[in-house]
Amino acid sequence: MTVAGRYVGQSVRRQEDPRLLTGHGRYVDDIVVPGMLHAAFVRSSVPHGLLRGVDTEAARALPGVAAVLTAAELHPGLHPMWQTMMGQDAPAAPFRPLADADVRYVGDPIALVVVESRYIAEDAAELVVADIEPLPPVLDTSAALGDTASLVHPELGSNLAGELPAAGSPELDAAFASAALVATETFHQHRYACVPMETRGLVAQWDPAGEQLTVWAATQGPHEFRAICGRVLGLPEPRIRVIMGDVGGGFGQKMFPMREEIAVVAATRQLGRPVKWIEDRNENLLGGGHAREEQMTVSVAADDAGHFTGVRVEQLENVGAYPFPGNGSTAMAGSMIFPGPYRIPALSYAARAVYTTTCGRCAYRGPWMMETVAREQMVDLLARRLGMDPLELRRRNVITAEDLPFTTASGMVYETVSPAQTLEQAAELIGYDAFRREQAAERERGRLLGIGLALYIEPSQSFGPLGTDGATVRLEPDGRVALVMGTASHGQSLETTMAQVVAEHLGCDLGDITFVQGDTAYVPYGAGTGGSRSAVVAAGAARQAALALRERIVTLAAAVLEAAPSDLEVASSAVGVRGDPASALPFAKLAGLAYFGHAALPEGAPVALEVTERFKAPPFTFSNACHAATVEVDATTGQVSILRYVVSEDCGVMINPMVVEGQIAGGVLQGIGGVLYEHMVYDGDGNPLTTTFLDYLLPTAAEAPAIEYGHVETASRLPGGAKGMGEGGAIASPPALANAINDALAPLGIHLTRQPMSPAAIVAALTP
Amino acid sequence: MKAAPFCYHRPGTVAEAVETLAAFGDGAKVLAGGQSLVPLMALRLARAEHLVDLGRIAALRYVRGAADSVAVGAMTVQAAAGRDPVIAASVPLLARAIPFIGHFQVRNRGTVGGSCAHADPSAEIPAVAVTLDAELEASGRGRPRLIPAAKFFTSTFTTSLEPDEVLTALHFPVWPGRSGFAVREFARRRGDFAVAGAVCAVTLGQGERIERVAIGLLGLGAVPLRAAAAERAATGTAAGDLDVTEIGHLAVADTDPPDDVHATPGYRRRVGVAMAARALTAALEEAAHG
Repeated sequence: MTVAGRYVGQSVRRQEDPRLLTGHGRYVDDIVVPGMLHAAFVRSSVPHGLLRGVDTEAARALPGVAAVLTAAELHPGLHPMWQTMMGQDAPAAPFRPLADADVRYVGDPIALVVVESRYIAEDAAELVVADIEPLPPVLDTSAALGDTASLVHPELGSNLAGELPAAGSPELDAAFASAALVATETFHQHRYACVPMETRGLVAQWDPAGEQLTVWAATQGPHEFRAICGRVLGLPEPRIRVIMGDVGGGFGQKMFPMREEIAVVAATRQLGRPVKWIEDRNENLLGGGHAREEQMTVSVAADDAGHFTGVRVEQLENVGAYPFPGNGSTAMAGSMIFPGPYRIPALSYAARAVYTTTCGRCAYRGPWMMETVAREQMVDLLARRLGMDPLELRRRNVITAEDLPFTTASGMVYETVSPAQTLEQAAELIGYDAFRREQAAERERGRLLGIGLALYIEPSQSFGPLGTDGATVRLEPDGRVALVMGTASHGQSLETTMAQVVAEHLGCDLGDITFVQGDTAYVPYGAGTGGSRSAVVAAGAARQAALALRERIVTLAAAVLEAAPSDLEVASSAVGVRGDPASALPFAKLAGLAYFGHAALPEGAPVALEVTERFKAPPFTFSNACHAATVEVDATTGQVSILRYVVSEDCGVMINPMVVEGQIAGGVLQGIGGVLYEHMVYDGDGNPLTTTFLDYLLPTAAEAPAIEYGHVETASRLPGGAKGMGEGGAIASPPALANAINDALAPLGIHLTRQPMSPAAIVAALTP
Repeated sequence: MKAAPFCYHRPGTVAEAVETLAAFGDGAKVLAGGQSLVPLMALRLARAEHLVDLGRIAALRYVRGAADSVAVGAMTVQAAAGRDPVIAASVPLLARAIPFIGHFQVRNRGTVGGSCAHADPSAEIPAVAVTLDAELEASGRGRPRLIPAAKFFTSTFTTSLEPDEVLTALHFPVWPGRSGFAVREFARRRGDFAVAGAVCAVTLGQGERIERVAIGLLGLGAVPLRAAAAERAATGTAAGDLDVTEIGHLAVADTDPPDDVHATPGYRRRVGVAMAARALTAALEEAAHG
């Protein structure tokens, strides 16, 4: 446990809230550029087919229409697209902003209509006639694998998007051969989506004279947006300026520009006029990227005391037609993270990703989370087969403080995790033993109550291009502080937490800091906000820059005060001799000397009160948590009521506990949505059925339980002691709920292995 | 999600509205609170060349109580009806159904008449109208007419209103005596369209026998339904002897519920049984004990 600082560790109120909560946020749809046109897409209504022709004549004739662009008009001159994180040679779907000669899912953009208003743009889009000769849809992942006749991407020759072959070992074979019990089960996760409150969108403006592109974008990573524009258009990156204002959530969907955004950027260059595209909700649900549709078969070998001796995993992922990024597979991350919080001596992990004629997969908060979803359900299933309580089975296998440092079967090294502590804290907070007694008594009365646990270990991803971030801290002439960062906060409260870190380490007042991000013309390079990396990488940069500036300010003050720097202290935006408050020089005074009064300064006194630092993080930093839920299932309607929801979390030193809890709450709600409400449904012909909020059900405040939090603070080895935790809420909540539901249904001999666990699905299981 | 072009009309009187409707025939649609029509138009699932907005016809916003019935003007917003003391005292079933309609934002704009004219089979006010044998008043070019609720709802999103007719009022009969009223419905989330629901009115007579009972079902067919067989079986029975689950089964026996991504017909019937039983139980409880 560490002692909270003046700012770090305090639940400081969010600096962004006065702006956002009073409606003064500035989102991309608030951007108006003179002469701006509006774009709408003509989309395929057929899941798979040959595009025999696109008749745009009637649309072009409509007054107000500036252009109707098909692949033939838009694609010439565009260069290959690849994402920095994936690299240039990663397996990926073919890159084409618009459908070319064929369509590959319902929603596939066929043409881009550019018009003086969005209303007329939709009128014009209706007038475009696409002549499509239907082909059989490719929907079933298992069948698609062996299918060579019906290919989503004929140019690839196979529907196999990616493969991770099993890496067995003699130890693993021996574990299974000598196991007292082997349990095998396949868990299915269904398709659901990011659904940010703000949909995708951008305004793009081409300056033909200067050959410069400006893009205002709803993005999680302005620099990655810039890099992709640069690659596709063949432009030098400094000629492109990407600006993000306030962004209403992303959850992974806005990490990388997708086909529509690239098409709009290409169109603006071609037309030489600014173009705005604001995705509507219908489009966002239809084509904004889906996630989570996959299955995982887990075989676990255990000894007679329930200790895991080996695990085999097989994953099958549906990545749709045009996944982003890369081929949409999450298997590489899943294979590294699967062992999670347990001692699993031997592991093999095989995976295949399959293209289908559905909307492509995009990153979604904890993209690899099937490893936790399947593993945690498997623990409960194994416990049931062993006749052991799932809490006890976890206790027997969980990594304890004595095990550290611990190297997992997949090679991850844990130094500062605390899964056993969070397990015990969650069990205590939810009153595990008392609930078991209540459950037994209520079962006698016919009530179906259940409790579920889920443990996980969450990686802060800071490998490769995600490994560094930059921060500039500048003391302005009035003594106030500008904090300029490469972050892309879009709901993560970085405007507050990064300022807390700087105020703490620079020694200034929090109110003196103004946070700036999201303009590639001015901010340090940043790899984007995602991957639970901000508290590690971005905060590392903010801390490092603040300390460097502090040192410079102290050096300046020492020269002015004719004191040794080691005798000085910094507090509340002033520097003085320790023990002599009267000597304190306010930052404003020092800044005035540096900027304006430098002639009077002694030789060698620093006048550059601006520091830019990049922080380089280790590839992974691990946080961990335990979720515990209690539920009641109504056997008549199948309705699941969440009675209590507890999260015990260890994300190291918390910069702001309120923000940590907010991140957990948001993630938990997404997991609740996934298990109980959200389902992106395709019918057997490949038509999406849930493309409005009438049918795609998000949990609302009325469905949100009061989440109870417990914190364990085990500092990481990083300066500052932080660990990332942004995704975990969404990772562990689905299995915690699934386990609770199955525990409630246990007296009926039912164990569900498929999501969603909707009322109708539960009733179907109850009434075979 | 932008509506196709349309002409907007805002008549000040019912007569003017009727004239406008008559002039444009099938090309015209009536706009009341817009809580269903406007989203459908934004999705271009509904189109109208001419939109006739009744929003400025103040004469259609009222609640008037008489001894044996209560009249509610068609453009009375649902939220106002829900907090109206006359409705609360004389037509409690309507007052209790209104909180189940959407969310408060919807109830602040949505109207009592609009809900009926839209005729969504899972809507609450139509189910109450059918259950209480309300009469719906319509004005067209001819004489105003009263349409019994049972004859008003003809199919999903379809009513017996003529193209030039405007729904102007609903007349709800008052149930006297030792009566109880209840609404039970099951929706995926609070405020969603019901998977299945039941509304129930019951009057107890001598010896706690059920003198009169009406059970309405929503979400279980193309129109709001009356559970006639269940009502017959319950009438005359002593409340204490009633097997409410059996009545629930009778209520859904002849229904043909819709199938969608949220519920199969079988699942809707199963939930319908429970909702009918729960509504009947609650209504009986109120009739017996107030």
